[in-house]
Amino acid sequence: MDFLNDFRWDIIWNYRELFLQGIWITIVLTICGYIGGIILGVFLGLGKTSKKKWIIWPCKIYVDLLRGTPLLVQILIIHFALIPSIFGHSLGVMFSGIAALVLNSAAYNAEIFRAGIESIDKGQTEAARSLGLTHAQAMRKVILPQAFRRMVPPLGNEFIALLKDSSLVMVIAVNDILYAAKVIAGSYQRFWEPYLTAAVLYLVLTFVVTKIVAYVEKRFSIDYNPRKNKEGRAVR
Amino acid sequence: MKKKSLFFIFMILASVSLILSACGTGGSSNGASEDGKKKFIGGTEASFAPFIYLDDKGTVSGIDPDIVKAIAEEMGFEYELQNVGWEPVFAKLTNGELDFGAAGITITDKRKETYDFTEPYYEATLFLIVPEGNTDIQSVADLKDKKVAVQINTTSHEAAKKILGETNPNIMAYENQPLAYQEVINGTADAAIGDNAVIIEYLKNNPDAPLKTIEDPSFEKEYYGLMVKKGNTEMLNLLNEGLKKIKENGKLAEITGQETDF
Repeated sequence: MDFLNDFRWDIIWNYRELFLQGIWITIVLTICGYIGGIILGVFLGLGKTSKKKWIIWPCKIYVDLLRGTPLLVQILIIHFALIPSIFGHSLGVMFSGIAALVLNSAAYNAEIFRAGIESIDKGQTEAARSLGLTHAQAMRKVILPQAFRRMVPPLGNEFIALLKDSSLVMVIAVNDILYAAKVIAGSYQRFWEPYLTAAVLYLVLTFVVTKIVAYVEKRFSIDYNPRKNKEGRAVR
Repeated sequence: MKKKSLFFIFMILASVSLILSACGTGGSSNGASEDGKKKFIGGTEASFAPFIYLDDKGTVSGIDPDIVKAIAEEMGFEYELQNVGWEPVFAKLTNGELDFGAAGITITDKRKETYDFTEPYYEATLFLIVPEGNTDIQSVADLKDKKVAVQINTTSHEAAKKILGETNPNIMAYENQPLAYQEVINGTADAAIGDNAVIIEYLKNNPDAPLKTIEDPSFEKEYYGLMVKKGNTEMLNLLNEGLKKIKENGKLAEITGQETDF
């Protein structure tokens, strides 16, 4: 374990600005990508449960395409080919990066939503419809609230996965955490310190996210009752 | 029944030991070729035309492989040039997986702290690359507050850091130089910095690319050398001696198309 003794943490300290910037960029990328991915994913997921063929098929093809190709390839296509061909010029690396993450995570979220909706017993829809609710009302008032509880754990999982996947946008020179590490590794030809720092920073971020996800999961679990205290007795 | 299974186990053990011993002899011949000459392993990164690139058959070719080949013929050693990628060239030299690096590597003082270089074989300089219709970038001095695309951790990156500051987010570092040029065409970056040889080759292959080059005297001249791990004098002397020979007999000038008066 000799390498531990000649670690040069001063390198990291000299480049702290780059890392701080990287943390900020990674957070922005992940949150924008996640929110966009959920919004797009809801529509795709609902589309996949639809009965109309012309709605189902585009959604199916979208999910298959985006889930069946590597995110890295998607990032390169979107940044170097798709956006310049549509707009005639690039809209900046942050835009391309966020767009790629939104489009990719939407495909995964769509499957989470579809599975969540389909996991609710058919009897629920039938009961709601027989009480006179329209299909849309039954969906909004009966199915989705129940389905959402079941979607929370996989959606939290997706958030953590997206946080780590965001490191791939480094290839289009978005200065996130990994980009900072790579630049430092290159300018000093030392690999332990920068990449270890990057790993620790990602770990800290995912740890925070894990805690948040665990809290949200608890709030949305079937057993949770805000009027109960810790012992499980109802407070009056 | 029992005897049969014992025999079976014995057979398995025997075959395993045979395979293992075969592996052992295979391993010992590693690193030396049949006629006893030592085989050196070189590392390169093959997206730096015309210095190193993969030809249509997938073999590593270009100026650097030609030079290594000429040196090896002159000095009579065997070698293998592996396309390992830019950063692995440095990492694998440090941990001894490679004997030398031949990847159009610029000789810098910073790199000299960790590696030894041969005499230079090529004189290079950096060019500024801007969109064809551009008028507001005339020289390096105009790059302040502009987005500048470079190849990550190369001398073009170093030059950008010197102009814009070490941690400036306006420096956009890509995996290779053609990507950096593409970013200027697409408008993500306002300018790129690249090596003269690479941009000339690029414009030769892409004559319609809406780019122009600007020479700036403030870019220092750079020299490319073959790189070895610091203290590997055996390899260094071998390469230097061979390089001197091909310099003298004119082979080097033939390969690079450049006068060898440096």
